[in-house]
Amino acid sequence: MRRVRFLALAGAVALAGCSRIGNALTVNPAFRRALLIPEKLDLAILGAGAPLAREYSIKDISPDFRQNGFDPPHGAQYLRWSRNEWRGYTLGVEGLVRAPHAYTLEELKTRFAAVSNITRHDCVEGWSVIGKWTGVRVSDLITAAGVLPAARFVIFYCMDDDGQGTLYYESLNMHQATHPQTVLAYALNDAPVPIKNGAPLRLKVPTQLGYKSAKYVRRIRFVEDLGGAYGSGGYWEDQGYEWFAGI
Amino acid sequence: MKRRVYRQPLAVRLTHWLVFLSLVVLAMSGMQIFNAHPALYASDASRFGRPVLAIDGAIDAQGRPYGYVQIGSRRITTTHVLGYTDDGMGGEEARAFPGWATIPSMRDLADGRRWHILFAWIFGLCAFVYARWAIRLRPTLADLRALPSTLVSHLMPWRVKSEPSYNPLQKVSYFGVVFVLAPIVILSGLALSPAVDAWAPWLPAAFGGRQFARIWHFGGMLALMAFFIVHVAMVGVTGVWNNLRSMITGWFVVRADS
Repeated sequence: MRRVRFLALAGAVALAGCSRIGNALTVNPAFRRALLIPEKLDLAILGAGAPLAREYSIKDISPDFRQNGFDPPHGAQYLRWSRNEWRGYTLGVEGLVRAPHAYTLEELKTRFAAVSNITRHDCVEGWSVIGKWTGVRVSDLITAAGVLPAARFVIFYCMDDDGQGTLYYESLNMHQATHPQTVLAYALNDAPVPIKNGAPLRLKVPTQLGYKSAKYVRRIRFVEDLGGAYGSGGYWEDQGYEWFAGI
Repeated sequence: MKRRVYRQPLAVRLTHWLVFLSLVVLAMSGMQIFNAHPALYASDASRFGRPVLAIDGAIDAQGRPYGYVQIGSRRITTTHVLGYTDDGMGGEEARAFPGWATIPSMRDLADGRRWHILFAWIFGLCAFVYARWAIRLRPTLADLRALPSTLVSHLMPWRVKSEPSYNPLQKVSYFGVVFVLAPIVILSGLALSPAVDAWAPWLPAAFGGRQFARIWHFGGMLALMAFFIVHVAMVGVTGVWNNLRSMITGWFVVRADS
């Protein structure tokens, strides 16, 4: 028994040593470059093609679509919109486009085909929920706006902030943005998107982890490159998470 | 009389140690990832009220924090070890696995994921090399027949002697680890990826759904740990230096009388 306890202790000490080495390597510039390699491989392998995420049936829908991330926006303008059934809210489409436009929610619903998909939402934390999302295909917005060939990415600017004033944002490349299941959704489970889930309009990217599906979208901008003023392409990406969130 | 046999080719020796390193990193970074949502569900989407396993912290009636492991509806208090434990910064917090056992030590899902995926690649590539070698350990019918008697002789592991070739129990365990356990762990891990799932919807389905695949992934890790402990114990019993030498230089010494 004493020997078993000794070995268990020795094991714990060895683990603690590995953990310390891990900490040092995590901040080592050379090792950091190695840590960033898999994302490039994963994007090259899984980012080609455009397979559809599995679509579920009504009975698979989760009783509650769990909320995660920042608190809902709390600015006076957002609160006013939320009390007036989103009258006054617009989605701006801008950047490398021939026809920039600010769409009201009504315009989005009447000018574009409504598409629905019942898909699974996989959070980076590890949990999953299933919900039915209805909205506008981002590819339809791209066509309507006359996006210029130079555009390679689209950035989604949001209204929620991290509590320290930094607003949420996300980005997709044009291949991901034109995926048929990539939608800007105004309805969840056949009702307007609840405030906790990103009202009035949220992005839904069922082929990647939940943090790509930005909530409270205010405007979308087509750009040539990420980086610089555009950060690493997303709020969580700026905190070290993968830009390609397919894994 | 002693005889030397060349037991392990270079490719096997190299990948053996890479696999060892990968498994350590994968388990430790995997626990970091588990800490982000320390609950497992036997379903496709999460049934939040009904985890199969949960390791978490809570506050008791006196306002004191404690840690627990919940299996089904049974809770075991595990304060200071699991659930409420080392935060990697000298204090304690509600977290499933302690900071001294995770990579990185502090709560850091982003870097934990990067470590995990980098070493998942290394592990996966090594598994291919290993498979080529381990296929030779495919147990024959004679091996399977001899299995019970080998098992009996292993009831007193300290009396087990090393032999020039692998015994039936070794063959079955090594073969099982490479061709059953490793594929389960690799495939259930892939089934957690939404992009992989779009390519292969049958993959999470084969494991009973995405959340169920987490159970397979976690259980597979526990099984690999169990193998690791027994493996190291048997290496210790049958001659640490001889075994280590054979996995470093390839050469294994056998007594002629055995």
